[in-house]
Amino acid sequence: MIEFDITDKLFFIKTDIVESLRLVIDPELHINIIDMGLVYNVNVDETEGKICIEMTLSSSYCPMGESIVSAVKNCIELHFPGFITEVLLVWDPVWTYDNLSEEGKRLLS
Amino acid sequence: MNAVKQDPSLYKIVVTHYITSSLCFLAVVIMMVFCAEDFSGHYFNPKLLAITHLAALGWGTMIILGASYQLLPVILETKLYSKILAWVSYVFFLPGIFCLVFSFWIFDPGIFMQSGSIFLLLAIVLYAVNVFFTADKGQQDSIAQDFIGTATLWLCFTALLGTLLVFNFQFPFLPKDHLDFLKLHAHMGIAGWFLLMIIGVSAKLLPMFLVSSYQNNQLLNLTYYLLNTALILFLVDTYLYNLNAKTYVIAFVGIAGIVCYLLFVYQCFKFRIRKVMDLPMASTFLSFGLLGIAISIIPFIIYWHLDKNPATIKYSMLYGTLLFMGWICALILNQTFKTLPFIVWVKHYEHLTGKFKTPMPADLVNNSLLKIQAISFVAFCCTFFPGIFFGFTFLIYAGLGALLVTAVMYILNVAGVILHKTRTENYDRI
Repeated sequence: MIEFDITDKLFFIKTDIVESLRLVIDPELHINIIDMGLVYNVNVDETEGKICIEMTLSSSYCPMGESIVSAVKNCIELHFPGFITEVLLVWDPVWTYDNLSEEGKRLLS
Repeated sequence: MNAVKQDPSLYKIVVTHYITSSLCFLAVVIMMVFCAEDFSGHYFNPKLLAITHLAALGWGTMIILGASYQLLPVILETKLYSKILAWVSYVFFLPGIFCLVFSFWIFDPGIFMQSGSIFLLLAIVLYAVNVFFTADKGQQDSIAQDFIGTATLWLCFTALLGTLLVFNFQFPFLPKDHLDFLKLHAHMGIAGWFLLMIIGVSAKLLPMFLVSSYQNNQLLNLTYYLLNTALILFLVDTYLYNLNAKTYVIAFVGIAGIVCYLLFVYQCFKFRIRKVMDLPMASTFLSFGLLGIAISIIPFIIYWHLDKNPATIKYSMLYGTLLFMGWICALILNQTFKTLPFIVWVKHYEHLTGKFKTPMPADLVNNSLLKIQAISFVAFCCTFFPGIFFGFTFLIYAGLGALLVTAVMYILNVAGVILHKTRTENYDRI
């Protein structure tokens, strides 16, 4: 589960970003991408007005990958107008089922 | 690395295949109703040959081709080699099916049947070129790719032998009887094309749909080698010596391969994280049961054949119908609603998701129609196959009535998904 340092001056905006990303739902599993554990990191550059989401997909051949990435960009641009969004897909570490949050596991069971 | 991009321009080609295939399914069922009594006779019957070819090519192969144009880029992690080739293949495929099926129905092995077989062969070769060039561009070297590539090769061989058999009707040149080659042609198609292709695709999709943590490919590797070995041995041995005692051993190798695949399915199911399964996935498991029943009949077919007992005809009919109208039908009827809604959803909602609350792909399917489809298909299985086994025509008719309901529900649902209108809701209204 993604965590931030509360002493970070960007703590609240990063937490807000994570909360808004809960609106992005995996189309097959019907679970939001935060509870899926797909989001690894959130970087905010207030001076350049840029938000960078470092995330992965459940598999590199995920047929809904492009849709999820597009949804993340749309979601951030909707809730944080004035910021440019960049989504960085990473494959290390590879997503596993251990990435699911307790809530995610509960929704699947 | 980027996410796999679903090419929106593939939508038309994929959906065209799905629509054509659905209509062919309805045509298959109507044709079956018109010759229900023929199911108690010999399988080498013009009307049954017409139905088998429409079911195998128009229904099964057509939808697999359509789905594969969407899934190949996903599985092989690359773009489809050529959309034009896909369209040209379709343009040859459609008149090919029509000519072949019509000329089988009226049994006229002349120019119509011959041109139909040539069109189909051309369509299949073009499809194979597309698959192999796509695979060549891909970054993956997986067991799924091996299954799909080999299945495509077997499809080409099946179509080639089928074409030779068509020409052999008018210009007899093959060294053996038509029925001897029919066994080889049918098994190349069933085991070589359908089984390997379905296993290849399910190797990727099944763990994904079930959210299974089972990652081991050993069972799939074993399945691949056992099935191909059994098929090659069956073709060579049956060509040279017809069915004989060795066929039991060959059948055992093939059945062992299928058992390994079913074990893979079981392992995926056992280690699934998603405990609640939707109706299409739950019904898909019925198809594996029908496959299991079909392969358990094989030793009886061989036994009665060697015993020169006419019961072998009835068992062969049951085996063939269980495979086509049971296993393949159940799989397609349900997996359509795991693939088609995603294809349509991407077209309608990919650019909107995240900005608005959108329906999920599963919401595009009408669940009431799906439930009636599932119930009527189970009713079909419970009446049609016992009807063939016991030779009760009224059970066959009852089964076909249920299958007609299944086909109508399926087509209505497919049409509903394809004709879906975009609808969104603002987040602030939730």
